[in-house]
Amino acid sequence: MSGSARSEIFSRLRETGRGETAENIQRERLSLGSAPAPAPPAPEMCQAFILNVLKNQGSVDCASNRSEAVRAIAHYLYAHFHSYRLVAGNDPRLAAMPWRDAGVLPRFGSLQAGEPVALSFARLGVVETGAILTWTGKANPAANNFLPEHHIVLVDKNDLVPTMEKAWEKIHHAVEKTGRPRGIHFIAGPSSTADIEGDLVYGAHGPQRWHVILLGDVPGDAQNVARDASKPQS
Amino acid sequence: MNEQHQDQAPPPQRMRVSLFVTCLADLFRPSVAFASIKLLEQAGCEVTVPLQQTCCGQPAYNSGDYESTVPLAQQVIALLETADYVVVPSGSCAGMICHHYPKLLQGEWRDRALKLAAKTFELTIFLKDIARIKPQFDAPPSTLSVTYHDNCAALRELNIKEQPRQLLQQLCGIKVNELQQSEVCCGFGGTFCAKMPEISGKMTDDKLNHVIATGAKILTGGDLGCLLNIAGRAQRQGKEIEVRHVAELLCGDMDTSPIGEGR
Amino acid sequence: MEQHSDTFLANASKALKNSGQAERRDKIGLLAPQIRAAAIHSFDGFDELRQHVKEVRQHSLNNLDYYLSQFEKEAVQNGNQVHFARDSEEFNSLILDICQQHDARRIAKGKSMVTEETGLNSFLQGAGLNVRETDLGEYIVQQAGETPSHIVRPALHKSANDIRELFQQKHDLGARKLDKTSDLVVEARNVLRKDFLQAEVGVIGANALIAENGYSMLVTNEGNGDLCANLPKVLIVCTTIDRVLPRAEDASAMSRLLARSATGQPQSCYTSFYSGPRREGDIDGPLETHFVLLDNERSNILSSDYREILECIRCAACLDHCPIYTSVGGHAYGSIYPGPIGSVLTPLLTSLEQSHLLPNACTSCGRCAEVCPADIPLPDLLRDLRHEEGIKKLSPQRWRYGLKLHAWLARHPPLYQTLTAIGIRILHRLGRKRGRFSRLPFADGWTSQRDFPAPQENTFMQLYKAKMKQNNER
Repeated sequence: MSGSARSEIFSRLRETGRGETAENIQRERLSLGSAPAPAPPAPEMCQAFILNVLKNQGSVDCASNRSEAVRAIAHYLYAHFHSYRLVAGNDPRLAAMPWRDAGVLPRFGSLQAGEPVALSFARLGVVETGAILTWTGKANPAANNFLPEHHIVLVDKNDLVPTMEKAWEKIHHAVEKTGRPRGIHFIAGPSSTADIEGDLVYGAHGPQRWHVILLGDVPGDAQNVARDASKPQS
Repeated sequence: MNEQHQDQAPPPQRMRVSLFVTCLADLFRPSVAFASIKLLEQAGCEVTVPLQQTCCGQPAYNSGDYESTVPLAQQVIALLETADYVVVPSGSCAGMICHHYPKLLQGEWRDRALKLAAKTFELTIFLKDIARIKPQFDAPPSTLSVTYHDNCAALRELNIKEQPRQLLQQLCGIKVNELQQSEVCCGFGGTFCAKMPEISGKMTDDKLNHVIATGAKILTGGDLGCLLNIAGRAQRQGKEIEVRHVAELLCGDMDTSPIGEGR
Repeated sequence: MEQHSDTFLANASKALKNSGQAERRDKIGLLAPQIRAAAIHSFDGFDELRQHVKEVRQHSLNNLDYYLSQFEKEAVQNGNQVHFARDSEEFNSLILDICQQHDARRIAKGKSMVTEETGLNSFLQGAGLNVRETDLGEYIVQQAGETPSHIVRPALHKSANDIRELFQQKHDLGARKLDKTSDLVVEARNVLRKDFLQAEVGVIGANALIAENGYSMLVTNEGNGDLCANLPKVLIVCTTIDRVLPRAEDASAMSRLLARSATGQPQSCYTSFYSGPRREGDIDGPLETHFVLLDNERSNILSSDYREILECIRCAACLDHCPIYTSVGGHAYGSIYPGPIGSVLTPLLTSLEQSHLLPNACTSCGRCAEVCPADIPLPDLLRDLRHEEGIKKLSPQRWRYGLKLHAWLARHPPLYQTLTAIGIRILHRLGRKRGRFSRLPFADGWTSQRDFPAPQENTFMQLYKAKMKQNNER
């Protein structure tokens, strides 16, 4: 059934198609160029990224080194769960973190039902959209993005890219060596829904909270933006 | 395009304008056409009214009867194409000539349609941007409380928004009291209002609620179709609002009864 | 595709009388355009982006045979099985076959308009499968035994109270009251979490297929689609053959338009690209993945004058901006694709005979085309369908002849002017005192809802000619 459907559909498409050679088609696509991207909300990348993460209803922290990052994670875990437990993928970058410095107790693997927090190390951060990018594999099982109550994401400052086009350049380059990952995820905020009378509610199916920690030498102005946003509103 | 005109040298003293009256003004509200002539003359134009004109063909066209519309469009083109400028006191009829004739016609007729489109203007855009009618700097602030209904074709096909408001301010001292949701259709839609009257009635009620909310006593606009519809619905619903075409207000004609009001 | 568009007017009339629903629609009609406008206002290059994506979409459709076969090749290489279906029946059967091969009983489904189009749920349920919609809005609608009333907000027609009552009926709530909206969301989350974990097959839609690498793109805010795509052992991605884009960047460019136009976001929360089954070293994800690609008239539309409708990205901005949609709501259209896009698509996917009223549900106000991120000239396409309606003599005879007579008269100016002068004079005499008519023969469509303003005494042409004569005599 499917075979004849396939040939019938393709023969109809060939009738309406231009019958161009692959070379001409690719040349024409190239001639159309790339899409314009929106201007960032600030000229400096870290600040622009932080502003967009906040706009996506994420919370943000900055850490200048791995030890500070672990302390920030510990602080977050204790503030929300009175616990130091989390689940993380088998990411060598995460395995190498000095967890003991702040008493954090990571379990490495895929998040199981009942475990509330997962930590991911993003492949990239996209300034344009305030999104983080991960892809599936040992280092970051898909469940860790979608099943936890809180999703904490570390982003290295040096992994920030301005636009989605730049993100794809990096992805293409990276997967040339490793093969195509099963899933590539741009995540831009906690899970949300407005399906009931247009009221925006977080934690529809995925995480209710999404916390981004920007790691590295983040300029003072950008740090201030993150700090001001995390102050309780009076 | 209009900004360009503003930067150029003043127009020659006598611009020769052919007025396309529109069938609704011809049949239901001649005062709109007379007001248009007066305004154009006030702006220094020499106005002629080609006598063989009837209708631009919108009713058939919007109903999808292209076969009936083509000869009508050709008739209008042949009648008007010798003019220097064509002015139309209606956004939707001007939109029909400027945007839809070229879409509808082919070959030589399409070229002729495009030439006509290039010199055809809705009344307020012509007065403001092309003829550049002189503001009445001594016009005292008007006591009239007025709101303005934007016709969809004027707004989206011809980019008319500020021109009628500026004219009301500059010629009559009228500051328009703006409608909420001013970019939403009033429910007229030509034959739509008669084909789907109940939906149309709801849409017109929404529009009227916004009109009443402004507190204005007069509703004006550049398109008789919308105005006949809104006035008719207001009267049916017992809502008090005077409805007048913007050309009438601009030339100070307050003697003519508002639309749908007896004498 | 199931539809009941022939009763559009009666459906609309019923909808107009439901004041609660009308109020929620009015709210969407007011707020959605403001939210979209703010999102687009903050992006200077939006029109340029729209133009770029349109060119890429046109290029893809012009070479669809090439790109679809490139996609198929890449997807197969990625380990997928790719199936093609000519119509709804083939499509539904293909999916049932896959489920049965795995002895699957429980299906978790992400939002997919294509499966709404084919009526997949009832087909699978008829075969004894348990199908669970997991998008919150779709879940609500499924529980209520209804159909979506909006393309991106399926449960727009329901109030929080309706949903609370529904959950009280369908769920075991005990003493829980679910007072707040967030309580309702948590309730659905808890119920559906079990379904995700138990389902053997996940079914999701795709916003785009990418020819160069065989990935599909899925855009959601809830993350439900991603749970469907990652937790069950088998994944089926459902979409139509026209969704292919050349490159991954093209899909991202499209998502820039989509999120802003649909919900005013710069990007939806989850934009996921899926290539196939679990890879070596993966510790989760499906073991088997399928693409089921539906034609259902798309290849015919591609060779018709309506091909631009295939460039639609299903953002629903045309619904939110259409005063007719916001007046009568989605169910009135009697088709799962309502609003301007639906009024074009429904006749093309079914028949004009069944749905010719829909292209008439339009005032040509042009707001849909103005906001359409795919720059589809919706009012033109709707008018073209009315043209076909006339040719097929589906419109009421009285309208057709009336308009033809008017057009004929208008082509004979002297006769037109004589007859209108007489008619106007009569109307003026009858109506001059009151200034209007409450009823008029031949104008009952108009006077059923509004008064008919009486004309001034003479036609302009009469007055003008008389004035000219006077001037000449002077």
